[in-house]
Amino acid sequence: MAGAGLWVRWSLRDLRKRWLQVAVIALVAGLGSGAYTGLGSASTWRRAAYDNGYAALAAHDAKVSLTANADVDAATLASVPGRLAHPGWVDGATVQLVVPTQVDASIDGRTILVPGRVVGVAFDGPAPAVDRFDLRSGAALSPSGRDGVLDVHFARHHGLPAAGDLRLGGNRSLRYTGLVLQPDYFLIMNDLGGFLAEAGYAVAFTNLEAAQELAGKPGRANQLVVRWAAGVDPGAAHDELAAAFAAAFPDQASTVADRPDERASRVLYDDIEGDQKFFNVFAFLIMAGAAFAAFNLASRVVEAQRREIGIGMALGVPPPRIAIRPLLVGLEVALAGVAFGVAVGVVVGRLVVGVFSDFFPMPAWATPFQGGAFARGAAIGVVLVFVATVYPVVRAVRVEPIDAIKVGLRETKPSGWAGLVQRLPLPGGSLGQMPVRNALRNPRRSLLTALGISAAIATLVGVLGTLDSFTATIDRGEREILATSPDRMLVTIDGFERRGGAATTAVQAVPGVAHADEGLRVVGRVAPLGPGEVADVGAVGTDGFDVVIDLLDMADAMWRPSLVAGSYPGDRPALVLSEKAATDMGVVAGGTVRLRHPRREGLGYRWTVSEVLVSGIHPNPYRYAVFMDLRHASLMNLDGIVNFLQVTPVPGTDRDAVVWGLFHLDGIASVVPVSTITANVRQTVGRVTDVLDIVQGVVLVLAVLIAFNSSSISADERARENATMFAFGVPVGRVLAMGVVESALIGLAATVLGVGLGRVVLAWIVHGVLPGTMPDLLVVTSVRGVTYLLAAALGIVAVAAAPVLTSRRLRRMPIADTLRIVE
Amino acid sequence: MSLISLAGVGRSFDTVAGRVVALAGVDLEVDAGDLAVLLGPSGSGKTTLLNLIGALDQPTEGRIEVGGRDLTTASRRELFAYRRETVSFVFQTFNLFPGLTALENVRFGADVAGRPDAAEEAHAMLERVGLADRASHFPAQLSGGEQQRVAIARALATGNRVVLADEPTGELDYRTGIGILELLAEQSADGRRAVLIVTHNREIARMADRVVELQGGRVVRDGAPDGGAVPVASLRW
Repeated sequence: MAGAGLWVRWSLRDLRKRWLQVAVIALVAGLGSGAYTGLGSASTWRRAAYDNGYAALAAHDAKVSLTANADVDAATLASVPGRLAHPGWVDGATVQLVVPTQVDASIDGRTILVPGRVVGVAFDGPAPAVDRFDLRSGAALSPSGRDGVLDVHFARHHGLPAAGDLRLGGNRSLRYTGLVLQPDYFLIMNDLGGFLAEAGYAVAFTNLEAAQELAGKPGRANQLVVRWAAGVDPGAAHDELAAAFAAAFPDQASTVADRPDERASRVLYDDIEGDQKFFNVFAFLIMAGAAFAAFNLASRVVEAQRREIGIGMALGVPPPRIAIRPLLVGLEVALAGVAFGVAVGVVVGRLVVGVFSDFFPMPAWATPFQGGAFARGAAIGVVLVFVATVYPVVRAVRVEPIDAIKVGLRETKPSGWAGLVQRLPLPGGSLGQMPVRNALRNPRRSLLTALGISAAIATLVGVLGTLDSFTATIDRGEREILATSPDRMLVTIDGFERRGGAATTAVQAVPGVAHADEGLRVVGRVAPLGPGEVADVGAVGTDGFDVVIDLLDMADAMWRPSLVAGSYPGDRPALVLSEKAATDMGVVAGGTVRLRHPRREGLGYRWTVSEVLVSGIHPNPYRYAVFMDLRHASLMNLDGIVNFLQVTPVPGTDRDAVVWGLFHLDGIASVVPVSTITANVRQTVGRVTDVLDIVQGVVLVLAVLIAFNSSSISADERARENATMFAFGVPVGRVLAMGVVESALIGLAATVLGVGLGRVVLAWIVHGVLPGTMPDLLVVTSVRGVTYLLAAALGIVAVAAAPVLTSRRLRRMPIADTLRIVE
Repeated sequence: MSLISLAGVGRSFDTVAGRVVALAGVDLEVDAGDLAVLLGPSGSGKTTLLNLIGALDQPTEGRIEVGGRDLTTASRRELFAYRRETVSFVFQTFNLFPGLTALENVRFGADVAGRPDAAEEAHAMLERVGLADRASHFPAQLSGGEQQRVAIARALATGNRVVLADEPTGELDYRTGIGILELLAEQSADGRRAVLIVTHNREIARMADRVVELQGGRVVRDGAPDGGAVPVASLRW
């Protein structure tokens, strides 16, 4: 019996004989394992970048925030950490004053007018003790003086220089000297909780005294950030901090949040997990495509060795030993795939990190080689491709030697369903029928090719369908928000005032303002009410989810939410919830939920929990959007109090002129046209989905490679048939055209399969993954026509065109030699 | 003028071991109605000669004219057209299309030649080779002899004037081979076609009107078989 060396040499010759196809299949496998490892490594790099970023800038572990528009004595607030039962648990603390304001950063004739905030920060020496700055360009923030620094996200998005002037609402201004990252704003969120909001939300920092001066609140502050000493139990420290604050400010409601529970931090980290789930789905599909392609190639290599296998059997070589050679081929292809996979993984990893570091700038992005991820990817790549070769090999060595050794047509006699489809009556002449006949003559092989391509198309439909679904969701939100009053603006008052107060009067007096409806916006939290459960008024609910409650005059407001179920609130306080909120809580119109909301008591606010009726359901996809009637502000002990306005311009008036008119008013925190809100959301989603473009690119390459390989293998297998056609004078172009039609048929089947599978993948993403990763959004499943067109273009046009790549080989075919080849 | 005319035709190949001469100085005239056998041992150049006449290969010297068309100066496009309109092949290993039925394979020949009555012609030819009842069978379901008869029907369905058969009985047993040779012999009988058969079997050469014997790439004999042509049925090998 031959030694191992012979089998290895022989298998390597097999590889060399089909080097192009082997290279392509290895590349396909490499794309699968590389996509997996590259995308997997990016997750590790992201987590490390966030962890290191928070550590490097001494990020807070806990934050005490006051209810909107409230503030307290800064010195007393600064003393809170020292009032803990265990003051040694505090490693550092910084008092801040957050001043909501409208920011005008217009430059070079471009209008950049957005809401935002100025954050005044108390310094402890040359830098704040907690939540320090990472200076990206320009000059650092000075502990004294009146200058500031600007958040780099906003500056970069709008192409602002490292130093400049910001004009703030109420005719105030702030000169900034540098661009910075600050850990509380690694992810920019707007006042409504929208993330990646840098396009429409500006954050500037200055020292505490400068901010107090800007806000006209000398000696005041409204936020405390604390960093715990090493080894401290964050839960216990949280409780002590809350108790210390309550003791210092008994009449003041506050929220104590641990950083991991803060929305920005949670989104950053949850996003890693969510993205990884996406990536795993896509990597799996790419790998599945590679496995089908490998199976196809292995089947054909084995088929080409059929007679040699038969001869081996006739000579008495045991089947397991005969199987060694084709199995070695499979293993060698798999190993070549791993080599490609490492390269592809490095490239994909770099691309993905490039995208993430672009919209999540961190103090440092390190990208060390992820041995574990690459080892896993390599193992999966080897196993998948190798396993794909086992079945055809086992099948081949189980035939009788006499069948294997037989000279003649390689095709097995048609039987079963394969025989049936071969006999389908077809119109047209023999040349016209031939592509169809060829596609049907080995349905299993055609199906395998189609499955490989369909996996790529499924990935494409999954990727693009996800983008389409986001777009459809935004469209739905836009339709709802713009509905009856698309020109209106949301004007936030800097504080609370009585209805018909100074700010409202001033707004109504601005030229171009047609109408202003008053409203009250508060934040809260809703949670389901269990059967028979009565809301424990006074207790603070921790389950459920955060919401923004807009109290509007439901009877007369220029805009109010539309309803998909139920009715607007009647005499009794009631909520209009989003469909997503209602579904998540399992409540319908007419049901009841627990609402945690602020309630004014004396000079401050306290959180309280009320059992509130749900009167209606609105179609806005954002879960946090909750509405009440302004009449029911009594629930919060805020009767007759407002803090925002819905403003419509006089028809025909330049909206920007009205915005500028409002900007210069005292007491106005922000002016935002509602259309800008949806435009920013759209822009944000566009950036989030940049990474999917990488997956899309991989998928396109994959599908074309699979199709090319299939065509290339077919060209080899059909060499004699093609030579026969040439001998009968059929032109090369006609033979190519027949190949194109055959590929198009397989591509069509692959497209149908791929689109179906892609819809399944999309449904899983929308209904299985997104509710966990984007709980605040009711994503509508949608696939645009252009996505189907792209799938068809890839699956049919690109696949159909693949045989053209073999035209050179066909033109150079030695017809006479090819015809005389005897098996 | 002869249907097929070769003058001073040679074909040589450059190999790493030097130049190999497969054919040299071949002069040959074949008329319509001729049944000619190209005879010779392996490597004598007979298949090379057949390939040159079929325009599957180009001579390195000399001139070939078939049906008034000069193959040595024809463009690639013209050679394709020539193969569609003038010659038909019957191969030793049949080279049927496995995805087409027997009838569809025959129709392929008629379709390629652009015959408007392709469907009827295919039926007629299949009947003529005695395989009307196997019309819907795929090649894998036919015996070797049946496959070769389908291949002949395919060649005849073109209606072309030159039939080139390369070792047509090489894969077949005696009885089947006799049937195939009878079929080929019939094709020249009406005087419209020339049939050229390549073989190394001297017994088969006895059926021909004319035997062109090659050795070492040269024609060493061209004429009627010794004792004249005999009926195919009397051949023994």
